[in-house]
Amino acid sequence: MPGTSNDPAIPKSPVNSGWSRRNFLKGVGAAAIAADTILQRVEKSAAADTVDPAAVDTPISGSIPITLNVNGRPRQVTVEPRTTLVSALRDRLDPAVTGPKVGCNMGTCGACTVILNGKPVYGCSILAIDAVGKQISTVEGFGTPENMSPVQAAMVEKDGMMCGFCTSGFVTSITALLRTNPNPTLDQVKAGCKGNFCRCGSYPHLFEAALTAAKNGGGRTGT
Amino acid sequence: MATKTIKIPKVVNGVTTAVDVQVEDYGNASWGPNNKHRLINSRMPRPDAPAKTTGTAMYTHDVRVPGMLFGKMLLSPYAHATVKSIDLTAAKKIVGDKAVMAIAVGAELHYEGAPVAAVAAATPELADDAVRAIKVEYTQVPHVVKGDDALKPDAPPVSLPAGAAGRGTGGGMGAGRAGRGGGTSQGTPEQVEAVLATCDAVVEAEYRTPILHHCCMETHSIVVDYNGGDSATIYCSTQGTFGGIAEAARELSIPQGNVTAIVQHMGGGFGSKGGSIGIVGQWACRLSKQLSRPVKMVMDRRQEFIATGNGPGSIQKVKAGANKDGTLVAVSSTQYSLGGIQRANIAALPYQYAAKTVYSQQLPCLTNEDASVPLRAPGHPQANFASESLMDELAFKLNIDPLEFRKKNAPRNGMNVAWQRQLDRGAKEIGWERRNMVPGAVGTGPLRRGLGCGIGAWGGGGRAQCVVTVDIKQDGSVTASVGSQDLGTGTRTYIRAIVAEELGLEMPDVLERIGNSTYGNANSSGGSTTAASLGPAVKDAAYNARIEMSRRVAPLLGAEADAVLFDGRQVMGGGKALSWKQACAALPAAGISVKGQFVASLSGNGAHGASFAEVEVDIETGHIRVIKMVHVQDAGLPLSRLTMESQINGGMIQSMGMALFEGRVMDADLGVMVNPALNEYKIPGTLEIPETVPVIDDEDPRQVVIGCAEPANIPGVGAIANAIFNACGVRVRELPITPDKILSGLMANAAKKG
Repeated sequence: MPGTSNDPAIPKSPVNSGWSRRNFLKGVGAAAIAADTILQRVEKSAAADTVDPAAVDTPISGSIPITLNVNGRPRQVTVEPRTTLVSALRDRLDPAVTGPKVGCNMGTCGACTVILNGKPVYGCSILAIDAVGKQISTVEGFGTPENMSPVQAAMVEKDGMMCGFCTSGFVTSITALLRTNPNPTLDQVKAGCKGNFCRCGSYPHLFEAALTAAKNGGGRTGT
Repeated sequence: MATKTIKIPKVVNGVTTAVDVQVEDYGNASWGPNNKHRLINSRMPRPDAPAKTTGTAMYTHDVRVPGMLFGKMLLSPYAHATVKSIDLTAAKKIVGDKAVMAIAVGAELHYEGAPVAAVAAATPELADDAVRAIKVEYTQVPHVVKGDDALKPDAPPVSLPAGAAGRGTGGGMGAGRAGRGGGTSQGTPEQVEAVLATCDAVVEAEYRTPILHHCCMETHSIVVDYNGGDSATIYCSTQGTFGGIAEAARELSIPQGNVTAIVQHMGGGFGSKGGSIGIVGQWACRLSKQLSRPVKMVMDRRQEFIATGNGPGSIQKVKAGANKDGTLVAVSSTQYSLGGIQRANIAALPYQYAAKTVYSQQLPCLTNEDASVPLRAPGHPQANFASESLMDELAFKLNIDPLEFRKKNAPRNGMNVAWQRQLDRGAKEIGWERRNMVPGAVGTGPLRRGLGCGIGAWGGGGRAQCVVTVDIKQDGSVTASVGSQDLGTGTRTYIRAIVAEELGLEMPDVLERIGNSTYGNANSSGGSTTAASLGPAVKDAAYNARIEMSRRVAPLLGAEADAVLFDGRQVMGGGKALSWKQACAALPAAGISVKGQFVASLSGNGAHGASFAEVEVDIETGHIRVIKMVHVQDAGLPLSRLTMESQINGGMIQSMGMALFEGRVMDADLGVMVNPALNEYKIPGTLEIPETVPVIDDEDPRQVVIGCAEPANIPGVGAIANAIFNACGVRVRELPITPDKILSGLMANAAKKG
């Protein structure tokens, strides 16, 4: 978070203010220790892809530093336990990862879609701490404007977008689909991104883009 | 048209000679023939697409500036209340004394979603905590949130808050207006009744449409980058780069000239972000001013539904008569427009059709709901649903092909030719001959198919406001700058295409710079006026740049300044050719900078469209599936075909949403919205998308730019409603057409048959 205030009325950092509101963990030293312990449990759970009951039993509170693996790079970020993955990416990482958008923040619109350990998920419906130890791929990881992935290039060619706010989510869902089903039918494309909304109504063109991308190398990232 | 002779070099057997070519130069007052463009009117990918598909396009939601705090709003939970007390103590403990603001005790709140308080905090989570910690006591006041209730004589009065544009009277119903819009009254209700008594077929019906929502994927949002002092930058998700500057300057108490507004990309507007900074902007500015720190304020999805404006609903009572020969002769209508606390517009009936005797009246129906704002063709899809349903009902009664009935009653003016042509084209695309001659009669299984159609009209003309600058540098780089915004309609695409075409360049050779108030003035995007306003100004600037380049380069070529040709990334004349870069190298160090403005002769007005739909209705479950939609749209000179097809697709799909899925649901007793979420307010998703056929009407002879985003949204609703009737014989007069209404209709039809 760039910039902190000299105004005493404004919390100097998320860490301090988080503590004062909750009394589960007291003092910065204890917090660091507790955070470490909790993190180990979280990482252990993540690695095993199961839930460690001890981690669930222990309330995690305050702000803690975690490491997220975003597009193949470890990224340090301080989050609260309730911080969603998409908020960690957009609001807390610095520099931010703003490809995934927040359209509804309740798992409906799909603008926040990211690929977590190979599966497309709503970034607004996963806690950042639950993504620790997992591979997070966002639309930025598939390609760049100069070196687009087949899905991104096909979206450009077919005009699979208008305002573009939902586009990151659709590109991500289609990429995830093509990685598991390289030659989908139109109906399979529709089913593959049924968790994404586009209000501009770019659907016909983005369906075309998905089918074109399938022919051009599918879910690959930029070369 | 001027034909010029230009000497260009030609290599024959290794020897370069000069040959004369005849070149048509239309200057800056004409685009020339629609089919003679090189880039304009072709299928160019949008230049901003790579940024959008790779997540690098910067939206207001994505902006983070140093020291920025996250703002959150607390909104009224009641439809009508006064504030009895506010306790901010706990909230201030979390975020600090100066980071919490609230309205005054005693203030009246006129709708669920009226702003009550706002906070700013270092993280979004803390802002949530602070909002939750605000304690407000309300005194509820009687409210009315349903149109039917508001029209009762004993309805609670809906008084308008200060600043609302409407002028409501006591009670739910405002003062009436007769004879607005296309359906100018030519008679009194009594005269219409007298004519109806002589008609071969009369239909009396009430059509209803609910209040709708824009559901922009990017919610209303702003980042106010103000750190004290006398200047600020605002990043706003808006349809008008320049529209919020005055308001922001007022809230921040700084000169308007010191406010820079930036809107690089914006995530959908559809009318709801028409230039004002809105509630989010006002409160973000106030917090920013008080704290001397940047504040970002983003509406959450629920707030977006209840507090950022809606598309008005309608109750339309119509009586119309036609004769056996298929002539519509008399129409009487009263249309109530349901715009919450705002008087909303609705197009007058019988919409685009002509009848000899017409009485038409539009009345606002006010309720304790947020103020309506424009929604893609304000008041038109609503009125069009009524008029196109009405025409279908009359045609059915008279046993006339509904398409022929429309052709017969389209007004005898310049528009008529367009509609005749578009109806024929659409009929061909959908296979109109396949429709059921007797509605609902075809098919034996539960799935019944049917076809329907409708026509619509819009303005889409240009306004004189845009100032475009084309800069050409010594290294050959070309930029076109204007403060205008791209809502996803393709503004960037045609700016680049117009300039590149004029200068003989390709799309990658030009960079458009938009969405910044330090560039030239531009109007906000509303009424589909952007293309017709900005396109001509870009053309003018590009033309002026070409003339200036000609003047500079002609001496190098040994040619007259008016005998220079720009083509194939070359500048030619006098029997010589220079590459674009060679030509630009001769420019002064600063390059050249040329301006352009609106040229009226390059823009037109009057867009027409025809929609067709094929649907499948399951008569056991009432489920409706749209199989195919066709929309034929004219736009004079289509600036960019690919993005225009996207716009037409979008229009069809939004009209499908309105026809089948969408509608605000209010709880009459509680006065609150029941479905303020995207999983409850249903918009079209991937599984519902039919085959769409967007047809650009190239037979339109007009060589001028006309906006077409809104017209593509107008006739689809009626077309789908009519297709449903054709499929299963059920006429649903209230949107959205949901399965329960189909089943009720089927039961009613069965009861009638006995």
